[in-house]
Amino acid sequence: MHAFLATIQDSAISTWVRESSSPWAYPTVLFLHTVGLAILVGLNVAVDLRVLGAARRIPLAPLGRFFRLMWFGFGISTVSGLALFAANATTTAVNPTFWVKMAFIALALIDMRAMRRRLSDPSGRLLAAASLLFWAGAITAGRLLLYFGPDLGALALLQRIGQ
Amino acid sequence: MTPVLTALGDWLHATALGRAAAGGVPWLWAACETLHFIGLALLIGCVTVLDLRMLGVAKGLPLAPLQRLMPYAVLGFLINLATGVTFFAGAPDQYTDNGAFHLKILFIALAGANVALFYVSGVAKRIDALGAGEDAPVLAKMVAATSLFLWIGVMYWGRMLPFLGDAF
Repeated sequence: MHAFLATIQDSAISTWVRESSSPWAYPTVLFLHTVGLAILVGLNVAVDLRVLGAARRIPLAPLGRFFRLMWFGFGISTVSGLALFAANATTTAVNPTFWVKMAFIALALIDMRAMRRRLSDPSGRLLAAASLLFWAGAITAGRLLLYFGPDLGALALLQRIGQ
Repeated sequence: MTPVLTALGDWLHATALGRAAAGGVPWLWAACETLHFIGLALLIGCVTVLDLRMLGVAKGLPLAPLQRLMPYAVLGFLINLATGVTFFAGAPDQYTDNGAFHLKILFIALAGANVALFYVSGVAKRIDALGAGEDAPVLAKMVAATSLFLWIGVMYWGRMLPFLGDAF
Protein backbone atom coordinates (compact mmCIF):
# COMPACT_ATOMS: atom_id res chain seq x y z
CA MET A 1 0.00 0.00 0.00
CA HIS A 2 2.77 2.39 0.91
CA ALA A 3 4.55 1.63 -2.37
CA PHE A 4 1.35 2.39 -4.27
CA LEU A 5 0.88 5.73 -2.44
CA ALA A 6 4.54 6.58 -3.00
CA THR A 7 4.09 5.94 -6.73
CA ILE A 8 1.18 8.38 -6.81
CA GLN A 9 3.12 10.93 -4.81
CA ASP A 10 6.20 10.65 -7.03
CA SER A 11 4.28 11.02 -10.29
CA ALA A 12 5.08 14.04 -12.44
CA ILE A 13 1.79 15.81 -11.76
CA SER A 14 1.94 15.25 -7.98
CA THR A 15 5.50 16.53 -7.86
CA TRP A 16 4.50 19.60 -9.91
CA VAL A 17 1.53 20.40 -7.63
CA ARG A 18 3.71 19.98 -4.52
CA GLU A 19 7.03 21.48 -5.54
CA SER A 20 6.54 23.89 -8.43
CA SER A 21 7.10 27.52 -7.52
CA SER A 22 4.43 28.48 -10.08
CA PRO A 23 1.35 30.17 -8.58
CA TRP A 24 -0.67 27.85 -10.87
CA ALA A 25 0.47 24.79 -8.95
CA TYR A 26 -0.34 24.27 -5.24
CA PRO A 27 -1.82 27.76 -4.58
CA THR A 28 -4.30 27.57 -7.48
CA VAL A 29 -5.32 23.98 -6.69
CA LEU A 30 -5.98 25.08 -3.10
CA PHE A 31 -7.97 28.11 -4.34
CA LEU A 32 -10.11 25.87 -6.59
CA HIS A 33 -10.72 23.57 -3.61
CA THR A 34 -12.07 26.61 -1.74
CA VAL A 35 -14.26 27.72 -4.67
CA GLY A 36 -15.73 24.21 -4.83
CA LEU A 37 -16.42 24.36 -1.08
CA ALA A 38 -18.10 27.77 -1.42
CA ILE A 39 -20.42 26.54 -4.19
CA LEU A 40 -21.19 23.10 -2.74
CA VAL A 41 -21.40 23.89 0.96
CA GLY A 42 -22.50 27.52 0.55
CA LEU A 43 -25.54 26.75 -1.61
CA ASN A 44 -26.40 23.70 0.51
CA VAL A 45 -26.27 25.79 3.69
CA ALA A 46 -28.56 28.45 2.15
CA VAL A 47 -31.10 25.73 1.22
CA ASP A 48 -30.72 24.13 4.69
CA LEU A 49 -31.51 27.48 6.34
CA ARG A 50 -34.68 27.90 4.27
CA VAL A 51 -35.83 24.35 5.03
CA LEU A 52 -35.22 25.02 8.74
CA GLY A 53 -37.51 28.06 8.61
CA ALA A 54 -35.37 31.05 7.59
CA ALA A 55 -36.91 33.37 4.95
CA ARG A 56 -40.04 31.22 5.03
CA ARG A 57 -41.67 32.86 2.01
CA ILE A 58 -39.07 31.45 -0.37
CA PRO A 59 -40.90 28.68 -2.27
CA LEU A 60 -39.10 25.35 -1.79
CA ALA A 61 -39.57 23.69 -5.18
CA PRO A 62 -37.51 26.18 -7.28
CA LEU A 63 -34.59 25.76 -4.86
CA GLY A 64 -34.20 22.30 -6.39
CA ARG A 65 -32.49 24.09 -9.31
CA PHE A 66 -29.45 24.75 -7.15
CA PHE A 67 -28.69 21.07 -6.55
CA ARG A 68 -27.12 20.68 -10.00
CA LEU A 69 -24.80 23.58 -9.15
CA MET A 70 -23.94 21.97 -5.82
CA TRP A 71 -22.81 18.86 -7.69
CA PHE A 72 -20.78 21.11 -9.99
CA GLY A 73 -19.08 22.54 -6.87
CA PHE A 74 -18.51 18.97 -5.67
CA GLY A 75 -16.83 18.21 -9.01
CA ILE A 76 -14.40 21.12 -8.57
CA SER A 77 -13.67 20.08 -4.99
CA THR A 78 -13.13 16.45 -5.97
CA VAL A 79 -10.73 17.12 -8.85
CA SER A 80 -8.72 19.67 -6.83
CA GLY A 81 -8.94 17.44 -3.74
CA LEU A 82 -7.54 14.45 -5.66
CA ALA A 83 -4.60 16.61 -6.76
CA LEU A 84 -3.98 17.74 -3.17
CA PHE A 85 -4.19 14.13 -1.96
CA ALA A 86 -1.82 12.90 -4.67
CA ALA A 87 0.72 15.62 -3.84
CA ASN A 88 1.08 14.25 -0.30
CA ALA A 89 -0.44 10.78 -0.64
CA THR A 90 1.84 8.90 1.78
CA THR A 91 1.20 11.24 4.70
CA THR A 92 -2.45 12.11 3.98
CA ALA A 93 -3.57 8.49 3.66
CA VAL A 94 -2.34 7.66 7.18
CA ASN A 95 -3.78 10.83 8.72
CA PRO A 96 -6.92 9.88 10.69
CA THR A 97 -8.25 13.44 10.39
CA PHE A 98 -8.38 12.99 6.59
CA TRP A 99 -10.63 9.92 6.95
CA VAL A 100 -12.84 11.76 9.45
CA LYS A 101 -13.22 14.48 6.80
CA MET A 102 -14.09 11.88 4.11
CA ALA A 103 -16.68 10.29 6.41
CA PHE A 104 -18.36 13.66 7.06
CA ILE A 105 -18.39 14.44 3.31
CA ALA A 106 -19.94 11.04 2.53
CA LEU A 107 -22.68 11.64 5.12
CA ALA A 108 -23.29 15.19 3.86
CA LEU A 109 -23.63 13.98 0.25
CA ILE A 110 -26.03 11.16 1.17
CA ASP A 111 -28.02 13.77 3.11
CA MET A 112 -27.96 16.15 0.12
CA ARG A 113 -29.32 13.47 -2.25
CA ALA A 114 -32.09 12.60 0.20
CA MET A 115 -32.99 16.26 0.67
CA ARG A 116 -33.33 16.88 -3.06
CA ARG A 117 -36.28 14.48 -3.06
CA ARG A 118 -37.82 15.63 0.25
CA LEU A 119 -37.50 19.41 0.00
CA SER A 120 -41.14 20.05 0.92
CA ASP A 121 -41.45 17.02 3.20
CA PRO A 122 -41.49 17.45 7.02
CA SER A 123 -38.54 15.03 7.26
CA GLY A 124 -36.57 17.63 5.28
CA ARG A 125 -36.00 19.63 8.46
CA LEU A 126 -34.12 16.81 10.16
CA LEU A 127 -32.04 16.30 6.99
CA ALA A 128 -31.29 20.06 6.83
CA ALA A 129 -30.14 20.16 10.47
CA ALA A 130 -27.97 17.07 9.92
CA SER A 131 -26.57 18.63 6.73
CA LEU A 132 -25.34 21.72 8.63
CA LEU A 133 -23.72 19.42 11.19
CA PHE A 134 -22.02 17.20 8.57
CA TRP A 135 -20.61 20.16 6.61
CA ALA A 136 -19.37 21.84 9.80
CA GLY A 137 -17.66 18.53 10.64
CA ALA A 138 -16.11 18.24 7.18
CA ILE A 139 -14.81 21.83 7.30
CA THR A 140 -13.43 21.39 10.82
CA ALA A 141 -11.64 18.15 9.93
CA GLY A 142 -10.34 19.75 6.73
CA ARG A 143 -8.85 22.69 8.59
CA LEU A 144 -7.38 20.48 11.31
CA LEU A 145 -5.64 18.20 8.75
CA LEU A 146 -2.64 20.52 8.90
CA TYR A 147 -2.40 20.34 12.66
CA PHE A 148 -2.62 16.58 13.01
CA GLY A 149 -0.59 15.66 9.95
CA PRO A 150 2.52 13.62 10.68
CA ASP A 151 4.71 16.10 8.81
CA LEU A 152 3.45 19.31 10.39
CA GLY A 153 2.32 19.31 14.00
CA ALA A 154 0.30 21.97 15.77
CA LEU A 155 3.34 22.86 17.84
CA ALA A 156 5.38 23.79 14.78
CA LEU A 157 2.64 26.13 13.63
CA LEU A 158 2.21 27.72 17.03
CA GLN A 159 5.94 28.29 17.29
CA ARG A 160 5.78 30.15 13.98
CA ILE A 161 2.91 32.32 15.25
CA GLY A 162 4.77 33.05 18.47
CA GLN A 163 7.78 34.50 16.66
CA MET B 1 -1.31 51.12 3.13
CA THR B 2 1.54 49.43 5.00
CA PRO B 3 2.26 52.21 7.61
CA VAL B 4 -1.40 52.37 8.65
CA LEU B 5 -1.57 48.58 8.91
CA THR B 6 1.70 48.49 10.87
CA ALA B 7 0.36 50.98 13.43
CA LEU B 8 -2.93 49.09 13.68
CA GLY B 9 -1.07 45.78 13.94
CA ASP B 10 1.26 47.02 16.69
CA TRP B 11 -1.70 48.20 18.72
CA LEU B 12 -3.81 45.04 18.19
CA HIS B 13 -0.87 42.72 18.85
CA ALA B 14 -0.45 44.26 22.33
CA THR B 15 -4.10 43.72 23.27
CA ALA B 16 -5.40 40.65 25.10
CA LEU B 17 -6.76 39.36 21.77
CA GLY B 18 -3.33 39.70 20.17
CA ARG B 19 -1.62 37.82 22.98
CA ALA B 20 -4.28 35.09 22.93
CA ALA B 21 -3.96 34.64 19.14
CA ALA B 22 -0.15 34.68 19.30
CA GLY B 23 -0.15 31.43 21.26
CA GLY B 24 -1.53 32.52 24.65
CA VAL B 25 -4.61 30.43 23.90
CA PRO B 26 -3.10 27.55 21.91
CA TRP B 27 -6.29 26.32 20.23
CA LEU B 28 -7.57 29.78 19.26
CA TRP B 29 -5.81 30.03 15.88
CA ALA B 30 -7.09 26.65 14.64
CA ALA B 31 -10.59 27.38 15.96
CA CYS B 32 -10.66 30.71 14.11
CA GLU B 33 -9.45 29.05 10.88
CA THR B 34 -12.35 26.63 11.10
CA LEU B 35 -14.86 29.39 11.86
CA HIS B 36 -13.43 31.49 9.01
CA PHE B 37 -14.42 28.74 6.55
CA ILE B 38 -17.85 28.25 8.13
CA GLY B 39 -18.41 32.01 7.84
CA LEU B 40 -17.23 31.81 4.22
CA ALA B 41 -19.83 29.14 3.38
CA LEU B 42 -22.59 31.18 5.06
CA LEU B 43 -21.62 34.47 3.40
CA ILE B 44 -20.84 33.22 -0.12
CA GLY B 45 -23.72 30.71 -0.12
CA CYS B 46 -26.48 33.19 0.75
CA VAL B 47 -25.05 35.93 -1.50
CA THR B 48 -24.65 33.50 -4.42
CA VAL B 49 -28.29 32.37 -4.23
CA LEU B 50 -29.49 36.00 -4.58
CA ASP B 51 -26.87 36.89 -7.23
CA LEU B 52 -27.62 33.84 -9.36
CA ARG B 53 -31.38 34.50 -9.23
CA MET B 54 -30.80 38.10 -10.36
CA LEU B 55 -28.69 36.70 -13.22
CA GLY B 56 -31.57 34.42 -14.24
CA VAL B 57 -30.84 31.09 -12.50
CA ALA B 58 -33.81 29.43 -10.67
CA LYS B 59 -36.20 32.04 -12.03
CA GLY B 60 -39.07 30.30 -10.25
CA LEU B 61 -37.94 32.12 -7.10
CA PRO B 62 -39.58 35.48 -6.28
CA LEU B 63 -36.93 38.01 -5.23
CA ALA B 64 -38.42 39.69 -2.15
CA PRO B 65 -38.21 36.60 0.13
CA LEU B 66 -34.70 35.81 -1.13
CA GLN B 67 -33.52 39.12 0.30
CA ARG B 68 -34.57 37.79 3.71
CA LEU B 69 -31.52 35.49 3.51
CA MET B 70 -29.18 38.50 3.62
CA PRO B 71 -29.01 38.72 7.45
CA TYR B 72 -27.38 35.25 7.34
CA ALA B 73 -24.84 36.54 4.82
CA VAL B 74 -24.13 39.44 7.19
CA LEU B 75 -23.71 36.94 10.05
CA GLY B 76 -21.18 35.03 7.93
CA PHE B 77 -19.34 38.28 7.19
CA LEU B 78 -19.22 39.23 10.89
CA ILE B 79 -17.84 35.77 11.81
CA ASN B 80 -15.11 36.26 9.21
CA LEU B 81 -14.39 39.82 10.28
CA ALA B 82 -13.98 38.74 13.93
CA THR B 83 -11.81 35.72 13.09
CA GLY B 84 -9.86 37.72 10.49
CA VAL B 85 -9.09 40.47 13.01
CA THR B 86 -7.93 37.72 15.38
CA PHE B 87 -5.40 36.42 12.80
CA PHE B 88 -4.21 39.97 12.16
CA ALA B 89 -3.86 40.70 15.90
CA GLY B 90 -1.98 37.43 16.47
CA ALA B 91 0.58 37.80 13.69
CA PRO B 92 0.36 41.29 12.14
CA ASP B 93 3.80 40.99 10.51
CA GLN B 94 2.42 38.35 8.17
CA TYR B 95 -0.12 40.75 6.74
CA THR B 96 1.00 44.38 6.96
CA ASP B 97 3.45 44.17 4.05
CA ASN B 98 1.67 41.35 2.17
CA GLY B 99 0.41 42.28 -1.32
CA ALA B 100 -2.22 39.54 -1.28
CA PHE B 101 -3.58 40.94 2.01
CA HIS B 102 -3.78 44.48 0.57
CA LEU B 103 -5.70 43.17 -2.44
CA LYS B 104 -8.00 41.10 -0.20
CA ILE B 105 -8.88 44.24 1.81
CA LEU B 106 -9.37 46.19 -1.45
CA PHE B 107 -11.73 43.53 -2.83
CA ILE B 108 -13.73 43.44 0.43
CA ALA B 109 -14.03 47.25 0.30
CA LEU B 110 -15.20 47.06 -3.34
CA ALA B 111 -17.71 44.34 -2.43
CA GLY B 112 -18.98 46.65 0.33
CA ALA B 113 -19.28 49.54 -2.16
CA ASN B 114 -21.17 47.21 -4.51
CA VAL B 115 -23.63 46.33 -1.71
CA ALA B 116 -24.03 50.07 -0.97
CA LEU B 117 -24.76 50.70 -4.67
CA PHE B 118 -27.33 47.89 -4.58
CA TYR B 119 -29.29 49.61 -1.80
CA VAL B 120 -28.61 53.31 -2.52
CA SER B 121 -29.42 53.09 -6.23
CA GLY B 122 -32.83 51.66 -5.38
CA VAL B 123 -32.09 48.34 -7.18
CA ALA B 124 -32.78 46.38 -3.98
CA LYS B 125 -36.19 47.98 -3.74
CA ARG B 126 -37.00 47.56 -7.44
CA ILE B 127 -36.22 43.86 -7.51
CA ASP B 128 -38.37 43.39 -4.40
CA ALA B 129 -41.37 43.66 -6.72
CA LEU B 130 -40.15 40.85 -8.99
CA GLY B 131 -42.13 37.64 -8.77
CA ALA B 132 -41.45 34.14 -10.07
CA GLY B 133 -40.33 34.06 -13.70
CA GLU B 134 -39.62 37.80 -13.97
CA ASP B 135 -36.34 39.11 -15.31
CA ALA B 136 -34.15 41.42 -13.17
CA PRO B 137 -33.18 44.83 -14.63
CA VAL B 138 -29.74 45.24 -16.25
CA LEU B 139 -28.32 47.23 -13.31
CA ALA B 140 -29.31 44.42 -10.91
CA LYS B 141 -27.56 41.91 -13.17
CA MET B 142 -24.43 44.05 -13.22
CA VAL B 143 -24.44 44.33 -9.42
CA ALA B 144 -24.92 40.54 -9.15
CA ALA B 145 -22.09 39.71 -11.57
CA THR B 146 -19.79 42.21 -9.83
CA SER B 147 -20.65 40.68 -6.45
CA LEU B 148 -19.80 37.14 -7.60
CA PHE B 149 -16.53 38.32 -9.17
CA LEU B 150 -15.48 40.28 -6.06
CA TRP B 151 -16.27 37.55 -3.52
CA ILE B 152 -14.44 34.94 -5.59
CA GLY B 153 -11.59 37.46 -5.71
CA VAL B 154 -11.66 37.82 -1.92
CA MET B 155 -11.29 34.02 -1.63
CA TYR B 156 -8.47 34.07 -4.20
CA TRP B 157 -6.40 36.69 -2.37
CA GLY B 158 -7.14 34.95 0.94
CA ARG B 159 -5.74 31.71 -0.43
CA MET B 160 -2.71 33.52 -1.88
CA LEU B 161 -1.75 35.02 1.53
CA PRO B 162 0.86 32.33 2.34
CA PHE B 163 2.21 32.16 -1.21
CA LEU B 164 2.56 35.77 -2.30
CA GLY B 165 3.41 36.83 1.24
CA ASP B 166 4.55 34.72 4.16
CA ALA B 167 1.25 34.23 6.03
CA PHE B 168 -0.27 30.83 6.65
